[in-house]
Amino acid sequence: METASCRKRGFLFYAGIYRKILVQDLKSKMSYRADFILSNLGMIMTNLSGFVTFMILFHNFPSINGWDYYHMLFLYGFSLIALTPVQCFFDNNWNLRFMVRSGDFIKYCFRPINVFFYFISEVFDIKGIGQFIFGMGTFVYAWRHIGIPVTFVTIAKAVLFLITASLFMIAIMNASAATCFWIINSGYVMVIMFRFKDFAKYPASIFNGIFRFIFTFIIPIAFVAYYPSLVFITPDSVPLLSWLSPLIGAFFFYLSYKFWMLGVRRYDFTGS
Amino acid sequence: MAKEVLVMKDVSKEFKVLKRHEGLKGSIRDLFSRDYTSVMAVKNVSLTVEEGEIIGYLGPNGAGKSTTIKMMTGVLEQTSGEITVNGLVPYKERTKNSEKIGVVFGQRSQLWWALPLIESFKLLRDIYMVPEKDYQDMLELYRSLVDIEPILHKPVRQMSLGQRTLSDILAAFLHDPGIVFLDEPTIGLDVSMKAKIRELIKGLNEAKKTTVILTTHDMGDVDALCRRIVIIDEGQKIYDNDIDHLKNYFGSYRTLKLRLEDGSWHEQVIDENKTDVMHVIQETQKKHRITDIQLEEISTEEIIRKIYEGGKAS
Amino acid sequence: MKDIRKLTALTKAGITESLQFRLGTVVTLFGNLIYLALVYFLWKSIYASAGSDTVNGMTFYDTMIYLILATAIFNFLEMFILWDMSRAIQSGEIIMHLLKPMRYRWYTFWSYSGSHVVSFFLTFIPTFLVVMIVTKGAVPVGWNLLAFICSLILALIVNFNLEMLVAPICLYTESTWGVNIVKETIVLLLSGASIPLAFFPEGIRRIVQYMPFRAIYDIPLTVLLKKNGSDTAGGLSSMILFQLAWAAVLIIAGNLFWNHAVRRITVNGG
Repeated sequence: METASCRKRGFLFYAGIYRKILVQDLKSKMSYRADFILSNLGMIMTNLSGFVTFMILFHNFPSINGWDYYHMLFLYGFSLIALTPVQCFFDNNWNLRFMVRSGDFIKYCFRPINVFFYFISEVFDIKGIGQFIFGMGTFVYAWRHIGIPVTFVTIAKAVLFLITASLFMIAIMNASAATCFWIINSGYVMVIMFRFKDFAKYPASIFNGIFRFIFTFIIPIAFVAYYPSLVFITPDSVPLLSWLSPLIGAFFFYLSYKFWMLGVRRYDFTGS
Repeated sequence: MAKEVLVMKDVSKEFKVLKRHEGLKGSIRDLFSRDYTSVMAVKNVSLTVEEGEIIGYLGPNGAGKSTTIKMMTGVLEQTSGEITVNGLVPYKERTKNSEKIGVVFGQRSQLWWALPLIESFKLLRDIYMVPEKDYQDMLELYRSLVDIEPILHKPVRQMSLGQRTLSDILAAFLHDPGIVFLDEPTIGLDVSMKAKIRELIKGLNEAKKTTVILTTHDMGDVDALCRRIVIIDEGQKIYDNDIDHLKNYFGSYRTLKLRLEDGSWHEQVIDENKTDVMHVIQETQKKHRITDIQLEEISTEEIIRKIYEGGKAS
Repeated sequence: MKDIRKLTALTKAGITESLQFRLGTVVTLFGNLIYLALVYFLWKSIYASAGSDTVNGMTFYDTMIYLILATAIFNFLEMFILWDMSRAIQSGEIIMHLLKPMRYRWYTFWSYSGSHVVSFFLTFIPTFLVVMIVTKGAVPVGWNLLAFICSLILALIVNFNLEMLVAPICLYTESTWGVNIVKETIVLLLSGASIPLAFFPEGIRRIVQYMPFRAIYDIPLTVLLKKNGSDTAGGLSSMILFQLAWAAVLIIAGNLFWNHAVRRITVNGG
């Protein structure tokens, strides 16, 4: 035991644990086949419905704020992909308030691993995969129609910007879930914040000054798709915020993590 | 001399609670005043626990038991005093401390809900970085103590409460911690399951020299497992000694049962130092006809109840 | 320094207090306001790109009113019957309601009625007023308001019975989330809550027209906006009759399905 406690629990340790939980979790989910099919059907329906809305919109209007059909489709696909990780990996945030209220949350405080990791790793939500596939299809389709070159650099860029863009919605949901450490009805906060994601697929340029500020720096949904997409859509005039979005994403994620952990400390102190 | 695994010196814990006033007027007042009342949940508690002991940690609801446990496990920081667990300061080294402790909170499973028990064990092995050989030895030990095969491949969500409790206790011992905290491990279980759980705890304690801190309201647990008990009430330690000593202390207490002519039993706890049993019988006989008499030694449960009701025992 | 700390503590206490007070309603209202702003900017730029003031008979303000009030109606109609029933099934409590389907139906309907009343006054009315202000009184005010209220009550009944029709599916699967999201998505899209039915391509619209979903969002809102001939007695009565007819069909279908599902419980023992 002495040797064990000397070893450090680093990134590889956590990645290994996560992989094992994931594999086991998937196995057990597959055994409930009807539920598995039904929840994926639900997810596909949601995305299909979003897509149909989109098509109907463009059936009536040729462009939105100078963005034509394929550019909007690019934005839409980008947002679907960037919204997948929050769905797949951070879904347990929805259970946080119940755990805290019932006192069950304390179990996460007794293990020699990071509380946030332990809590979040518990649930992998498989429904997100349908959304990811849907998003990828749309994204690739739009990419080809816009005529963005396929090179190592553009693909590497796409991967980097997609991953960092996903951090924004994760941060928003972490922070809204963590409000349950302070207030009773945090469910409403989560529901409303989650609804804002529907606007990630529209260009932030449609908003006026105040709202653009809010959706850039306070509830940063404009970073989920709009800012990072500009890197690909208008490569000649990319705003600084677009280039900085990976850093800002990491920053927002870090802030939300700290806020979440602050909530845990508070939970400890009240001893509830 | 045995190793000391847990030492508490003059530990106190104070909570600050925002005082709320009643009604609409009160809540408006609350907006402007900052009325904190401090609640002392634990007051100057000192405690030394040696390796291999099983301690019954008792007290009425709200006495400060769970606050103490939370401080020992490093979830809460004490307001004053010192705590060391396995030579570590729990709050400062929470991660390191939690490697060497095990915790079971009755009825709240800490295992992965959807996973078969064996997979939970494997994950815990990895999380606590238990060497493969130690892990296998531990499973062997488990097999020798209980029949784990039927539950090993069962997901926790499909288990009965008894099986779940059993699993949680096994999981708490898996990384061979120096000290294990068990909070109401037998709550809600049937008689035979209770006995099984007690046997398991005893077996693990003997085989691994694991210290066990047991909080419970079930005196059956205490009688079966603990030689020493600590009683806490209103945040203060009011008793800390052998369970036999407790019985001697209150040895002069007996329960007198009288059956009256209408067939009903009347019970009365009598302190023989103060009241004479014969006198009670005579007094009763003046008013009723007694058809039967029983005199019983007081049970641990009743002693504890007397202590809770009467405050300090010394 | 001390003063500042005093002030922040005060603010904190104040926020906590007011948050505890009907936080749900306040947050919902606030969320609706931001949502309103989003819808406003989105459609403003959409209409700006269109080049004409009226698209498919809908002006910018019509669309705004339609979509925002659809959200308000969504909050107003929101029920958790599916979740309630699946919980009742999983806990075994459903047995208690089993042999009296009508009683369960009525019990559920009336236990939700209180929250409908509250949400009507605390979220629908304020949202409606904000819409009036933002659109500078573009909502026609007259007899149509009365017709709208009638239509809204019918929408409530249709929606409730649709939920009651879908809910027994929970007897066959544990994935309440899946059932719920499929139902919700279909209702929101085909009822016009996501995008007004007026914008649907002609072919699709002709099919959707006969489905019950229109009775929940599109008809009350059309009545309110005096579109599609709803300002004539004939047009209005045909819409109201449409709602009534679907309510009747759903009640009958719901009962049939419920009875079938109940038999399943009594046979399988839950």
